[in-house]
Amino acid sequence: MARGFRRKGSGAHTRYAAQLDPLERATVAGLMDQVRALLDPPAPVPEGGDDFAAIVAGLGMGVTVAAEDQGGLNASDAGRDPALDRLLPTANRQDDEMAAEFRRLTETGLRQRKAAALQTAADLLRGDDKVRLGQDQARALLTALTDVRLVLGERMGLRTDDDVAVLEAAAEHLDPDHPLGYALAVYDFLTWLQETLASAMLER
Amino acid sequence: MPGRAYPCCVSLAPVQEEVTATGGDVAPDTPWITIVWNDPVNLMSYVTWVLQNHFGYSRKKSEKLMMDVHTKGRAVVANGTREAMEADTEALHGYGLWATFQKDD
Repeated sequence: MARGFRRKGSGAHTRYAAQLDPLERATVAGLMDQVRALLDPPAPVPEGGDDFAAIVAGLGMGVTVAAEDQGGLNASDAGRDPALDRLLPTANRQDDEMAAEFRRLTETGLRQRKAAALQTAADLLRGDDKVRLGQDQARALLTALTDVRLVLGERMGLRTDDDVAVLEAAAEHLDPDHPLGYALAVYDFLTWLQETLASAMLER
Repeated sequence: MPGRAYPCCVSLAPVQEEVTATGGDVAPDTPWITIVWNDPVNLMSYVTWVLQNHFGYSRKKSEKLMMDVHTKGRAVVANGTREAMEADTEALHGYGLWATFQKDD
């Protein structure tokens, strides 16, 4: 049974402690690896269904989402995985040229920083059931959890605040083994875990 | 890790904004803004933490901006030069927030 993050100590000795079982740690770390793989090749994903299909299949850990939700409705660039648009959204909604220039200047660095945080976080979770984090480690885990939830949310079709409730209601009528039901359960777990960590880090 | 790697942001503290407004300092004649947009994934506590952490805003100010994002769909979280707003936007993307920069019309 997982126990969420709590703040221990203060000042330079502040630690954030949680207890997660091996399956929980492996699941979250595995998803972090998947998102890192999505970000890691610095070259943008070219058009072509094969990469996309591989990414969807590669979500792994049993967390895959039905292909009909993956229609690429929100893809701003042809062939670009919509999950990448959540991780690296457009920076200017009024001026495509400025947005493109921003992307050209920042995308590689953002991908590298996100990938590094995801790597750090996954490594931390592969340690011990008792997870104890210093400030920098906690920041890495906190942002890594965000990126995983962004991708998973995109895979499940979360576009508006209302979609969460709609999904929860739909999941009640699904077969327990349905991938969407499982994805939602994992998403809820990630949300809970991140909430405990963000709240612990906010306390002052 | 992203975060305080953007020295530009120091000048964006609310106190300084007020000084600029009253003191007639070198206010940029074409101010730019950074906007954070609502999204269904990011948690209220996390958005508050990011605003506190990146901009150095108070807990109260961060929570007010976060609530604006949540209830109004967006909030202007910073203003200044285009370069500074681009740096803020990049940092906020690092945190996974849905941020954009634009000229303040």
